Amino acid sequence: MTSIDVRDLTKEYGARRAVDDLTFTVPPGRVTGFLGPNGAGKSTTMRLVLGLDRPTAGSAGLGGRPYASLREPLRIVGALLDTGAALGSRTGRDHLRVLAATHRIPDRRVDEVLEETGLAPAARRRVRTYSLGMRQRLGIAAALLGDPEVVMLDEPSNGLDPEGIVWIRVLLRRLADEGRTVLVSSHLMHETAAFADHLVVLGRGRLLADTPMREFIDARVRPAVRVRTSDPDALENALARHGHRAVRHPDGHWTVSGARVDDIGRLASAEGVPLLELTADEGTLEQAYLDLTAADTEFTAQPQEA
Amino acid sequence: MPFTPVFRSEWLKIRTVRPLLATLFVLFTVTTAFSALASLDPGDPGADPLFTALSGTALGQVAAVTFGALAVSAEYREGAAARLSLTAVPRRGLWFAAKAAAIAAVVLVVALVTMPAALVAGLAGLGDAADGLTTADQVRGVVGGAVHLTLMALFAAGLAMLLRSGTATLSVLIPLILIVSFVAGDAFGAVADFMPDRAGQTVLRAEPDGTLGPWTGLAVSGCWTAAALLAGAWRLRRQDA
Repeated sequence: MTSIDVRDLTKEYGARRAVDDLTFTVPPGRVTGFLGPNGAGKSTTMRLVLGLDRPTAGSAGLGGRPYASLREPLRIVGALLDTGAALGSRTGRDHLRVLAATHRIPDRRVDEVLEETGLAPAARRRVRTYSLGMRQRLGIAAALLGDPEVVMLDEPSNGLDPEGIVWIRVLLRRLADEGRTVLVSSHLMHETAAFADHLVVLGRGRLLADTPMREFIDARVRPAVRVRTSDPDALENALARHGHRAVRHPDGHWTVSGARVDDIGRLASAEGVPLLELTADEGTLEQAYLDLTAADTEFTAQPQEA
Repeated sequence: MPFTPVFRSEWLKIRTVRPLLATLFVLFTVTTAFSALASLDPGDPGADPLFTALSGTALGQVAAVTFGALAVSAEYREGAAARLSLTAVPRRGLWFAAKAAAIAAVVLVVALVTMPAALVAGLAGLGDAADGLTTADQVRGVVGGAVHLTLMALFAAGLAMLLRSGTATLSVLIPLILIVSFVAGDAFGAVADFMPDRAGQTVLRAEPDGTLGPWTGLAVSGCWTAAALLAGAWRLRRQDA
C-alpha cells in the first residue's frame, strides 16, 4: 500500500507563506487526523499532494512518486476536497459517471458507491436539490469510486447530521483496517479524537506535532475525572487518604484532577463508596490542542503585509 | 493516460447538462430561421446569394461561442469542479485537449445538420435569385460554415480557459460578433475582415470580394482559435488549479 510523503514542503501565495517547510509521512493501516485551526495550511497541503498547486519548494507525493505521474490516479488516491465540486445541473449519478469514465470504471461501481454512501435513493436527482450533508456524501462517494489505496478527506464531517458523523467514523475505521492510508483533516480536536489513531497538527503552515493519538493525550493532557456519589463525606475522605485533590462543584459533582477513571473506580470500590457517575473529563483534551495552536492562531489573526 | 476514456468523460459532461444542450438547439433554430427570414427579403439585388441564403450563421455564431464558453466555464463556476476533474486526469494538456475535442465534435455534428437546413430554407426564400449558385459553391458554404461555427466554439473555449469565466468570455465575444463586426466592419474595411468571426464567414460567399478567399478566411479564423486555445492551455498548465 502507498503512503503519503511530504518533504520540506513550502508554498507561498504572494508574500503569504501557507505551508512552511513541512515534513511528514502518512503510512497505511491507520487513520491519521490532520488537525489545525482554519487557515493552518491543511487544504493547501492536500492540494499540493494532489498536484493541483505547485510547491514553492520541496515535494509532496505518493509512495515517492508525484501525483501527476500516476497512470490511473483514482485507483491510487481518492480525495474529497470541496463540496461545491459537483455541478448543480447534473444528477449525482451522472457526476460520478463522468469521473468514472476517465478510468473506464463501470456504472456498476458507480451504483455500488452510491449505495455505500446512502445516496442511492437520490442518485437521479440534480445535485442542486441536495442538502450540504448529501453533497458531502457525494464527495465521499467520488473519493471511493476507484477503490483507492489512499483516502484523503478534507473536513468530511462538515454538514453531516449526527447519524452521518457516526457513519463516517465507522467508514474511516474500516478503510484503515483494510490496510489503506487514511488522512482526514479537521479543525476540531474532539471530533478528530473520536476516529484518529495518529495526529499531524499544523499551525500557520508549520508542523506542530506528529504523534500517536495516545501519546498526544498522555503527554499533553492532564487527566481529570468527573465523579458523583450519594455519600460525599466518604468520597472526600477516601480521596484524601489516597492523596487525590478533589474539587466539589455546586451541582454536587466532583472533579479529581491528575487522576484516571481506572484509579478512581478501583479506589471507590475498595473503600465502599457508592458511585453514581464516573467519567473522564474530555475538556482538557481540547485545552491541550488549544494551548498547542494558540500562538499560531493568534499570529495568523494579525493583518498580513502586502 | 490514454485519450479515449478522457474524451468520453468530457463528452458525457456535455451530454448530462441540459443548459448546454439547449444552446445547441438554439444554434440550429436561430441559424435556420434567420437564413429563411433574410432570404425572403434580400434587399440589395446585388447581394451575394450564398451569403444571403446562409446569413443566419452570423447569429448561429453567438450560440456556438456561448456553448464553447459554458462548456469550459462549468469547470470554474461552482466551487472547484476543475480541481476534481484534474485529480482524475492530472495531465492538464491531455485534459484540455480532450475537452476541446469533445466540444469540437459536438458542434461540428450539430453544425453539419444545421447548415444544410439553413441552406434549404435560404434557397426556398431566395427563389430565382439563387439560380446562379453551383453545387460546389453550396457544398463549400455548408461544410465551410460548419467548420467556421466549430472554430468559433473552440475560440470561445480557449478564451474561457484563459479567463476562467464564461461571463467574462461572453461579454467580450458577443459584443464583438454582434456590434463590432457589424458596425465597425464597414468603417475599418480590410482590417475588420481579419476579425475571427468575419474572416471565417468568407467561406459563405459565392464570390468573396475582399482580401481573403473562402479557405484563407477560414484559415485566419483557425489561427485565432489556435491562439486562444494555446493561451488557455498556457494558463492551465502554468497556474495552480
